[in-house]
Amino acid sequence: MTRAEFMARLKQGLVGLPMTTAAEIASDYESHFEDGVAAGRSEAEVAAALGDPGRLARELRAEAGARRWSQEQSASSAAGAVLGTIGLGALDILVLLPFLSSVLGVLLAILMSGIAVFVAGGFVLVSGPFFGPPGGALAAILLGIGLIGLSVFLIGITAILGKWLVDAVVWFARLHYRVLKPALEPQVQA
Amino acid sequence: MPETIEIQLKKGVLTLCVLALLNRRDSYAYEIASTLSDAIDMGEGTIYPLMRRMQSDRLVETYLVESAAGPSRKYYRLTDAGRGALDAQTSEWRAFARAVESIVDAPAEPVAAPAEEGAAQ
Repeated sequence: MTRAEFMARLKQGLVGLPMTTAAEIASDYESHFEDGVAAGRSEAEVAAALGDPGRLARELRAEAGARRWSQEQSASSAAGAVLGTIGLGALDILVLLPFLSSVLGVLLAILMSGIAVFVAGGFVLVSGPFFGPPGGALAAILLGIGLIGLSVFLIGITAILGKWLVDAVVWFARLHYRVLKPALEPQVQA
Repeated sequence: MPETIEIQLKKGVLTLCVLALLNRRDSYAYEIASTLSDAIDMGEGTIYPLMRRMQSDRLVETYLVESAAGPSRKYYRLTDAGRGALDAQTSEWRAFARAVESIVDAPAEPVAAPAEEGAAQ
């Protein structure tokens, strides 16, 4: 593989990353080629020693997802971290998928019920007093506030569990980086 | 996908090796990669995912050095957290290596020994 081919395949694999990140990574590998050639190796040798660019790109994407997750915990960064992990395509990650999706389903259910209780609480709080509830208007207001409190609790639980889940996925992904030669393409001895 | 114990072992000490190299002196990725590629068969390309990971874990930080020929070069240096991690991982490694060596190097016990001898202790 020539330098141009390697870089083209790497860049293709990095599509979807933020522009600055992808450019930074590309320049890392460009300078690796320059150093290698300066050290008297051929471009093909350097490319062979670097390994499969598609594979490297998948690991770099997983790492970028993990890094963004560690910087800001949002729904989109969580999705990025999880998708990056799945992108690694390791067999046991794929085996884990059904389990992961059922856990996600449970979390989503808790979140939805939290939101539903929140809406119900708001409704009871605002309009309850006008319908002559048993126990008087004050009881309706207190019930409304109580429901809203419960919903905040439920949503909070979802957030904490969700964060744990994504942290666990990131940890698991990092176990799967293939950092050593034998795990990459057959190598030309440089 | 089965991986040999050798690969798992090398994977485990890779971070430690990079930390130790950078503790000796600041370095750039190509140099780290070629050192470790010779020493422990690391795939050269994976130095970059690894360095990015160590950077996001704040074990290393980068700075640019102008070079006479060509564009400026990105150097890595240890952070305080990186030095802490190096100390911790070094002592972990030493303890592990000592334990394995004491088992591997234990002299063979005489056949039909009457009682168990704690040779490995």
